[in-house]
Amino acid sequence: MSSHVHEAPPAGSSGGFEVGAGVRRAALVAAVVGLGTLGAGLALYPERALSSLLTSGFLFLCLGLGGAVFLALMYVANAGWFTVFKRIPEAFSAYVPWGAAPLLALVPFAPKLYLWARPGVMETDHLLHKKAAFLNVPFFGIRMVLMLALWVGFTWLLRRNSLKQDTERTEALTKRNVATSAVFLVLFGLTFCLAAFDWLMSLEPHWFSTIYALYNFAGLLSSSVCAITVAAILLHRAGALPQLNTSHLHDLGKLMFGFATLWAYLWFSQFLLIWYANIPEETAYFIPRMHGGWAVPFYLNIVLNWALPFVLLLPRPAKRNPAHLLRVAAILLAGRWLDLHLMVAPANMPDGAGLGLYELAGIVGVGGLFLLAVTRAVRSAPMIPAGDPYLVESLHHHT
Amino acid sequence: MSASVLIGYFDSEEKVLDATRAVREAGHALHDVYTPYAVHGMDDAMGLKPSRLTWVCFGAGLTGATLAMSLQLYTSVVSWPLNVGGKPFNSFPAFIPVSFELTVLFAALTTVAAFLLRAKLFPGSKRAALPRVTDDRFAIAVAPGTELAAAEEVLRRHGAVETARVEVAS
Repeated sequence: MSSHVHEAPPAGSSGGFEVGAGVRRAALVAAVVGLGTLGAGLALYPERALSSLLTSGFLFLCLGLGGAVFLALMYVANAGWFTVFKRIPEAFSAYVPWGAAPLLALVPFAPKLYLWARPGVMETDHLLHKKAAFLNVPFFGIRMVLMLALWVGFTWLLRRNSLKQDTERTEALTKRNVATSAVFLVLFGLTFCLAAFDWLMSLEPHWFSTIYALYNFAGLLSSSVCAITVAAILLHRAGALPQLNTSHLHDLGKLMFGFATLWAYLWFSQFLLIWYANIPEETAYFIPRMHGGWAVPFYLNIVLNWALPFVLLLPRPAKRNPAHLLRVAAILLAGRWLDLHLMVAPANMPDGAGLGLYELAGIVGVGGLFLLAVTRAVRSAPMIPAGDPYLVESLHHHT
Repeated sequence: MSASVLIGYFDSEEKVLDATRAVREAGHALHDVYTPYAVHGMDDAMGLKPSRLTWVCFGAGLTGATLAMSLQLYTSVVSWPLNVGGKPFNSFPAFIPVSFELTVLFAALTTVAAFLLRAKLFPGSKRAALPRVTDDRFAIAVAPGTELAAAEEVLRRHGAVETARVEVAS
């Protein structure tokens, strides 16, 4: 990793970075094979295939949204250090319209996944029938379409303004993105809560937790910073981002460390209150997860998402070592999948479900889709935002 | 017994970084460098080893965690067991919030205290400040015992606006 500063390339000199054809072909094959397997699974074992699609669909959609949230946070903070690699979170955000598809595909199959969508349940269940006005398939679909449309709009706007700056070179575009980001962050905070409640928490419609969305938001931040770090290191190694220096990595490492700890804080805040109060309607969520087939993944979740990353990222040199950061990011991303798997799968498979064929198909299939969208975005825009007023600051970033 | 420290004053960040590196590369031992604000790259220019303060922080954090865990374990399991909501006396999740708070408290306060002590910043400290280094001057202090005349030459060549000798107790 070079620690000295390179010169910015001249304006408009190049298109995007040509990601190897092998990578793109592998992504396409992965998407087709993975999603095809899930399609076949719909007939054979629908609960499991749909759980896997929801887990992976949400995981990768969160990476795309996380890219936009990362950008928006940097814009409203007037941060300059990230500018050199800002095309990476922008490329992630370009996945949002693609990522809408796996989630929209769930709507027609809602009764297989969601208890409240099954005929006859709402009328006979006393705890649920008052929720019927909200939890019904048409309204669920409308809410999903509106939320996804809002996110597609904002992520498109943020990226378009940034790309426009490559040629227009005006500070006004940065200011416009600051304003757009402020509005986006407020609306995203609200809609993401709704999405987490709707798509994940309503899998167990009797149960509720007010911190659930915030806890998911911490997972979104932690996993997207990891994915940005991985992409930055890989693109640097491929020669696409020679300007990335050790200080950029150090700051990304700090964010990984901080967000992993935020996740643990919120996970524990949810667990402690439920454990302490010991009220049956709340403990109903944790009891199946802490016993039987789910017990090992339950404890592994805390190890992967917090304990290991915390210890591994504590020393300063650890956060400045790209190979080490790649390993820790891999642990955290695996942890994020497990965390979501633990939220989704036990609702329909209370006895346990490991990392089987359908789970892998979901990860590979939706992951392939994500890789396709991101490589397409990386190829379509110059790697260095030459018109960004913060670029020089970012090139000289030093911690 | 007193010894003489050579001080070179500079008026910009770039010059002081440049001169610091030059003095060290010429084989002179640095006493310290004083700047009005944290200068990026100074640790590197001075050839400083990684700070040991992180270990103070880590040790204090571990001490805080251990103390908090032991106190709660002793009071609620050994000394005065109370039945709270039918939970076991030794209920680990209940001990975490206090342990977290004490870990953070011990780590933060000890680190700040260790820094202030090490930098001799406390009431009654006889440590003198060089003129203008809290305002608009950067100062390099070359340790006594080295070739001060040759070091002075290096400082001048790298843009020192002024040099001086200061007597320090050795």
